Amino acid sequence: MKKTLTVNLGGTVYNIDEDAYRLLDDYLNNLKIHFRKQQGADEIIDDIEARISELFSEKIAGGKQVITISDVEEIIVRLGKPEDFEDQEDEVNTGKSAGTNGENNSRNSSEKNNETNSNAKEQSAQNKQQEQPYSSRTSHVKQRLYRDPDHKMLGGVAAGIAAYLDWDVTLVRILMVFFVFIPYTPVIIAYLIAWIVIPEAQTAAEKLSMRGQAVTIENIGKTVTDGFEKVANNVNDYVNSEKPRTLLQKIADVIISVAAFLFKLFLAALVIVCCPVLFVLAIVFISLIVCAIGLAIGGGAFIFNLIPAIDWDPIITISPFLTIAGTMGGVLLIGIPLVGLVYTIFRQLFNWTPMGAGVKWSLFAFWLIGATFFFISLSAYGWHWPY
Amino acid sequence: MNVDNVKSQMRKGMLEYCIMLLLHKEASYASDIIQKLKEAQLIVVEGTLYPLLTRLKNDDLLSYEWVESNQGPPRKYYKLTEKGEIFLGELESSWRELNDTVNHISSR
Repeated sequence: MKKTLTVNLGGTVYNIDEDAYRLLDDYLNNLKIHFRKQQGADEIIDDIEARISELFSEKIAGGKQVITISDVEEIIVRLGKPEDFEDQEDEVNTGKSAGTNGENNSRNSSEKNNETNSNAKEQSAQNKQQEQPYSSRTSHVKQRLYRDPDHKMLGGVAAGIAAYLDWDVTLVRILMVFFVFIPYTPVIIAYLIAWIVIPEAQTAAEKLSMRGQAVTIENIGKTVTDGFEKVANNVNDYVNSEKPRTLLQKIADVIISVAAFLFKLFLAALVIVCCPVLFVLAIVFISLIVCAIGLAIGGGAFIFNLIPAIDWDPIITISPFLTIAGTMGGVLLIGIPLVGLVYTIFRQLFNWTPMGAGVKWSLFAFWLIGATFFFISLSAYGWHWPY
Repeated sequence: MNVDNVKSQMRKGMLEYCIMLLLHKEASYASDIIQKLKEAQLIVVEGTLYPLLTRLKNDDLLSYEWVESNQGPPRKYYKLTEKGEIFLGELESSWRELNDTVNHISSR
């Protein structure tokens, strides 16, 4: 069963299979590229579209409802590929484009084996059958090192290196972990530096050059549709992408997942400890919680026992309710920003979902309430305000 | 030198001439021109025709009008212009000369 689209070709509407549409779209784009330098390029393309529309009508006339991919292939054979048009003056051009097309083809066929989506597979299989893909201009293939955001565990450094070297990602990660345990190899620092320095591949063109694939219209289209499908599938494609994993690879994947989780916890703790603001907040928060609980349970006596040195008299003489409320308020005052910061850290590391607006607003409201109580009780204690 | 290359060069040269000959005989749609050229084995793929037709039209050698049809979109109906007729006359004399020359050389 295939998904179909409705397409407007020269003013008439046709139902067309999705894979057929993609093939046709590619073809028309290649024609546009081919004719772009000629005068009246738009008119030529319009004429060709009208012709295709005529041919489609003939197909539909027999009672068929949908244009299929074999129809489109037939039409492309009839109309001819841009190389066949014999309207370019330079023969040198055909020689060169045949060469790069051949190169592009072999690269594409090895890369195309890796596509997960079956529709993309079908289409690329069909493309291979047409001798060469008709991308008339293939740009020079220069491979660059990027971080790969689609296959990342932490920062995509390992995934990026794997894409550059065309190795298996898990292999790269295992090597990294291995080197952590060898003395005099500063793997963790090197990883963090790489995380900061190496750019992330965000656009489709960057992702293609990360893998060393030519940046052609075809390939970009495939990258974009793959990206959509990844989002739509909502599955962690890290384990499911590309070729099916052998048992050994799966075991390694599990080990790496556990190791990565532990490493992320370690990083989170490291950040909290190293960042002084966070650290102080954390300490204050913990102590406030202790106070609040203690006060709620034991009343004023709890505080006395805790830190006898301080003169707690003024606080205790005021109503216990206020004391408790004030402490709770203090907890909220310090705690909520702290929780917010920690949540952000964890979100970066563990890909948690961002907080919804409702949650944020209610947290803010609680924070305000907490702040109010805290400051009311403070003034009740007779604290002298700076002004 | 590839024989196919040379053949394709010869065909390229003839294509415009033949299109204009066809249109001189009668005005027609692009698809009819394609049909006849295919029968004569002058073109292999239809796509070759469109850039040519557009170029000839831009040079004022052809003109077209839109004809409505009940099945499908309106189609272009091509015919030769005055300028085109003159141009064709010159092509014809050029062709006759070439023909004579080749015959002359091969019969020697």
